[in-house]
Amino acid sequence: MGIVRRGWFQPPWEFREASLFTAVTVCFGFILQYTASGQGVPRVYLPVNAIVLALFALLVLCIGLAFRESATVKWFGGIPLGLCLIVAIAALSMIGGVFPQGEVKPGSPWALFGLNQIFSSWPFALTVLLFLANLGLSLSWRLVPFSLKNIQFILFHAGFWIALSCGIFGAPDLQRFVVPVEEGKDNHLGYVMESDIPQKLPFSIFLKDFTLEEYPLQIFLYDPQIGQPIPERSKAPLLVRKGLTASWDGVDIEVLDLLPFALPDKDGRLHPADKAAGIPFVKVRVKTPEGTKEEWITTGSPFVETRDAEVGSYYLGIRPGTPKAFRSVVTVKGDNGQQINATVEVNHPVDFMGWKLYQMGYDEKAGRWSQLSLIEAIRDPWLPAVYLGFFMIMAGNLLFFWNGIQQKEVAS
Amino acid sequence: MIFDFTTAALAAMVCWSAGSLLSFFVRKIPVLKLPALLLSFAGSLVMVAFIAFYWSILDRPPLRTLGETRLWYAALIPLVGFLVEYRWKISWLKYYCMGLASFFLVINLNHPDVFDKTLMPALQSPWFIPHVVVYLVGYVLLAASSVTAVHNVSLQLRSKSTANGESVSHYLALLGFVLLSFGLIFGALWAKEAWGHYWTWDPKETWAFLSWLAYLGYLHAYRYKIEKGKLQWYLALSFIVLLVCWFGVNYLPSAQNSVHTYTQS
Repeated sequence: MGIVRRGWFQPPWEFREASLFTAVTVCFGFILQYTASGQGVPRVYLPVNAIVLALFALLVLCIGLAFRESATVKWFGGIPLGLCLIVAIAALSMIGGVFPQGEVKPGSPWALFGLNQIFSSWPFALTVLLFLANLGLSLSWRLVPFSLKNIQFILFHAGFWIALSCGIFGAPDLQRFVVPVEEGKDNHLGYVMESDIPQKLPFSIFLKDFTLEEYPLQIFLYDPQIGQPIPERSKAPLLVRKGLTASWDGVDIEVLDLLPFALPDKDGRLHPADKAAGIPFVKVRVKTPEGTKEEWITTGSPFVETRDAEVGSYYLGIRPGTPKAFRSVVTVKGDNGQQINATVEVNHPVDFMGWKLYQMGYDEKAGRWSQLSLIEAIRDPWLPAVYLGFFMIMAGNLLFFWNGIQQKEVAS
Repeated sequence: MIFDFTTAALAAMVCWSAGSLLSFFVRKIPVLKLPALLLSFAGSLVMVAFIAFYWSILDRPPLRTLGETRLWYAALIPLVGFLVEYRWKISWLKYYCMGLASFFLVINLNHPDVFDKTLMPALQSPWFIPHVVVYLVGYVLLAASSVTAVHNVSLQLRSKSTANGESVSHYLALLGFVLLSFGLIFGALWAKEAWGHYWTWDPKETWAFLSWLAYLGYLHAYRYKIEKGKLQWYLALSFIVLLVCWFGVNYLPSAQNSVHTYTQS
């Protein structure tokens, strides 16, 4: 065909050089990880990480603008290297996406090469750093001279640059503490996931009340031999209501009555009780080939024994529904005297002194009688920067979408 | 139920089949064009109505189980086929789309979904619907892009490829990528409110990021004027990453700690 193949490192550099460069970077990262005995990238906190990031951004911008005509710099900020780095980031992420991340035996090959914590490993960090340089260079050329025509490019690429760099450089500054609080008490100590040693927080949380709402009770036929419920004919979970009927092979049941909050007296007679102490009782009619019987069954509670109905070698039981909502009414007091009353609920965190407080959990064994609420306190000073990046990406994408939709003609 | 799934699914499939059958004869009998279109469209309308009805009796959006996501795909995929025919005058895609939608419905008919009203507290969020719907539409567009690409590859092998076909797969991928980006960011914003952090490298997040990177890579390769023919292969294969993300993650060793695994039913 008469096409002369370009030799290695013969300008203009393209994919071959980019692949080699990327592969060397990743290999160098793994070697570095290995020589550091599996220790990941050192954690650098505010303000040092912010200064390093700002200097890095400035350096990339200056190189981009000062050497925009240099073939090497052009290649460094070009699509071939960008694509190779995307492939490398994807390949490293795939390791994290396939293999469980977290603790493994120290000294195992996984740990030595950082494969169990790939996202804080040297190869990942170096690849992302180069990627930021590549992205930053291409961005510098579109930023200066500025033109409105480039706005979609700038929004998307700068947004990605900001979100990625601040997310990664800022990761060490993320603080997460679990604060266990008991009803009627306060606590100013928090625990990090990796340690049992509590740390003092700049505020204390007082738990006034913890409440749990549940979905309707579930009724099921249970085989003690296999230790599992037997699926009902409709294969659906059976949510208890008056008049509910259900059937299994040779067993038909009907719910005759339902007392959501009741307690038995000493003769076993049931009386309605208040919401705090009462437990649900359900009257069921059970029909089997052997005959028909009616019986009261209950979920039980920490204070009353569970009661199931015997059905041949099986048992018919009811259990509390799955949690629908749980929330803690708290008073949070800061060391600086600031104080708020708030309700912390799943999906509704509360802001306090730069911290966000989340409803995390409760004593699941005690269910709705739980006296314990687990509140998670989280602080992430880099969040506004990351969100700025997110919104820029979305704005850039809206323009991209608009331009894509508008082009009705055949793509050239 | 007055309007049960079996009736809805069968009605939709009958509409699609009848619509497709009529479309075959449109070239000979142009008068059939409108009834064919209306019938095909009615199939999707039946599914949309069923989803709305199902939503109202569940008291929660039917987006929690894998089976429920299949309902949405079944309703939305044919609509992409109609859109492509309307905009790019390519009619073969809609048959594939209706076939795929019917396939999803048949899976659901064989595995009746658990009729469960419960929704765990973390999913009770205003972000739930936008996050999942944006992803659903994105996946639908990318599935269509991938099939168009496969079709283009087969045309290429027979030396019949058309610029129009390549532009369809490209625009579908472009729109799909935009929606993936929105889905990813909506998910991050929701995660911050529900789980305390916007990104935790949960396996599903990692795979969503990988799918996003795959299409990011495609768009840059396209921009760099890599041969369009080769890119059809790329687009055809990219969808595999999405499939891993949609349900394959559940079967990977990393899934043990994921907050994202669908309720199996």
